[in-house]
Amino acid sequence: MSDLLRTFLRNRKAAIGLAIVLAYVAIALAAPLIAPFDPIARVGRPHQAPSAEHWLGTTRMGRDVFSQLIWGTRTSLMVGIVAGLIVTAIGTFIGITAAYFGGLVDDVLNFFTNVVLVLPQLPLLLVLAAFLGQVGPWAIALIIGLTSWAWGARVTRAQAMSLKTRDFIQASAMIGEPTWRMILVEMLPNLLSIIGFNFIGSVIFTIITEATLEFLGLGSPLALSWGTMLYNAQTASAIMVGAWWEVLAPCAAIVLIGVGLSLMNFGVDEIANPRMRTLGTVAKALRIEKRLTRQRMQEASQ
Amino acid sequence: MRFLLKRLGFYAVAFLVAATFNFMIPRMLPGNPADIMLANSGGMIAPEAREALMATFGFIDAPLHEQFFAYLGSIFTWDFGLSIKFYPMPVADVLVQALPWTLFLTGSALLIAFSSGTLLGILAAWRRGRLTDVIASPTALALQSVPAVVVALCGLYFLAVRNRVFPTSYAFDPKLDPALSWEFLSSVAYHGFLPVVTLSVVLVGGYLITMRNNMIGQLGEDYLAMAEAKGLSDARVRYAYAARNALLPSVTALALSFGALFGGSLITEVVFNYPGVGNLLYLGIVGRDFPLIQGQLLIMTLAMLLANLAVDLAYVFLDPRLKRA
Repeated sequence: MSDLLRTFLRNRKAAIGLAIVLAYVAIALAAPLIAPFDPIARVGRPHQAPSAEHWLGTTRMGRDVFSQLIWGTRTSLMVGIVAGLIVTAIGTFIGITAAYFGGLVDDVLNFFTNVVLVLPQLPLLLVLAAFLGQVGPWAIALIIGLTSWAWGARVTRAQAMSLKTRDFIQASAMIGEPTWRMILVEMLPNLLSIIGFNFIGSVIFTIITEATLEFLGLGSPLALSWGTMLYNAQTASAIMVGAWWEVLAPCAAIVLIGVGLSLMNFGVDEIANPRMRTLGTVAKALRIEKRLTRQRMQEASQ
Repeated sequence: MRFLLKRLGFYAVAFLVAATFNFMIPRMLPGNPADIMLANSGGMIAPEAREALMATFGFIDAPLHEQFFAYLGSIFTWDFGLSIKFYPMPVADVLVQALPWTLFLTGSALLIAFSSGTLLGILAAWRRGRLTDVIASPTALALQSVPAVVVALCGLYFLAVRNRVFPTSYAFDPKLDPALSWEFLSSVAYHGFLPVVTLSVVLVGGYLITMRNNMIGQLGEDYLAMAEAKGLSDARVRYAYAARNALLPSVTALALSFGALFGGSLITEVVFNYPGVGNLLYLGIVGRDFPLIQGQLLIMTLAMLLANLAVDLAYVFLDPRLKRA
């Protein structure tokens, strides 16, 4: 495990990504300590531009944007992680079950997964959220978690299928290991990278989707999150009156966490798929060799 | 042929599942959409219309399975009832007016994003570690995690509000009448520019990364070494050999990206007040226009399935093994 961590951190992309994500986690945990103002109190004049006192300006309600941003980090990360866990749990369960048992079980589960994959997800989510009324962040996490597992199930199944044909798995089956042991001890550890990839990807997707749903006014307007900040900015016509800070601040927060998480995912991908790593090195080595040959030829001709 | 028949059967079942879902949502939740609508309409709808409204949702006085069949029937007759928001226009008419704009928006964005993303992905994989790769790949990676709402809002702020380069809303100058004239078409292009670019920017990263990864998967293969050994030109090996094979998984990824395309188009239309079906869905949700929402969802599902079918057809064309099988 520590080996895995070391490989992960040696990857520059993964390390930068992890640093960004950890910074967000720290901000979320320390929100009450570092937010300079109460995020829902009127602490200034409406639509004040960024200043020494209000680093990111104020909203139409005279609330401090910077404090809202910090508190919003908490909500967005929590929703992302909860939904990510649900998505990964369902996806991994369905994927491994389908691949391990094969036959009819696989046919049914795979068919179901493919059907969910071809449905227009965001419109369905919108309609669901609309019928449920203005839903809070937890409900959003639950809705996204329960509807977004199909992609993960599909990749996990594919990976588990190829794993099943490996010699060591076949050998364990022949020794007569019980099913639970086959799945939990033999297969699961070898699927860790795809599961991690799925989890991180789901967290990104959830943070983006939550912000989108709330921006459209389908979330609870009382929630403190980046999406609600965008929604309030939109209803206050912040863009039209030139209060760019109200819109750009949550946008930047969403983009940066997204980039951090994708960098981590790139790292996971490169660890799981050594080809992604070594080909660059091989190409570089080839280029160096070419250059050396050219130099040698020049030296020889002189 | 058998492959296509199998896929057709699959889509038919998928559509049934979606329709069932659409049918169940208002029934599973407390309250009756028709009554909520009557209460919200503030006298806009005559109480006599209640019966018709109930019928729209399949809330006819009948057992559940009969309601379901009546509802399924409305898909084929294209009779989704009357819209509340655009009363007294039928939902079908409202949707038909909006559909071309969404098709224009998603079609052009898909074309731009897929072709440029794929091409850049090929080059990035071929010249790994060189300038193309070093600039394009991290940018694509970042773009992949940027939500459409952020791109749209930034585009709106920087290019339409702060610098008035492009219009902030509508699909064409409202002073013009739709006609096949240069004036009208240029107005459409002018108003469509920001939405199309927004949607392309949202999509391009994913296609680039997918193609790059697929290409890298091909690079070590023997047939490429063979092609090079034969002395074929670099471009020929790259496009006619490596890219040709790497394209297959990319096409599968294309089908999976339609969800993002529809979602992205919805947001883009809302931000730029573009009169497509996504904006319509949003207006329907805000205005609690349930017949519109239901009809809309069916159309979107149908469009999504048709798009997937188109990709399947492309797949048969690209992978000759499927034709023989």
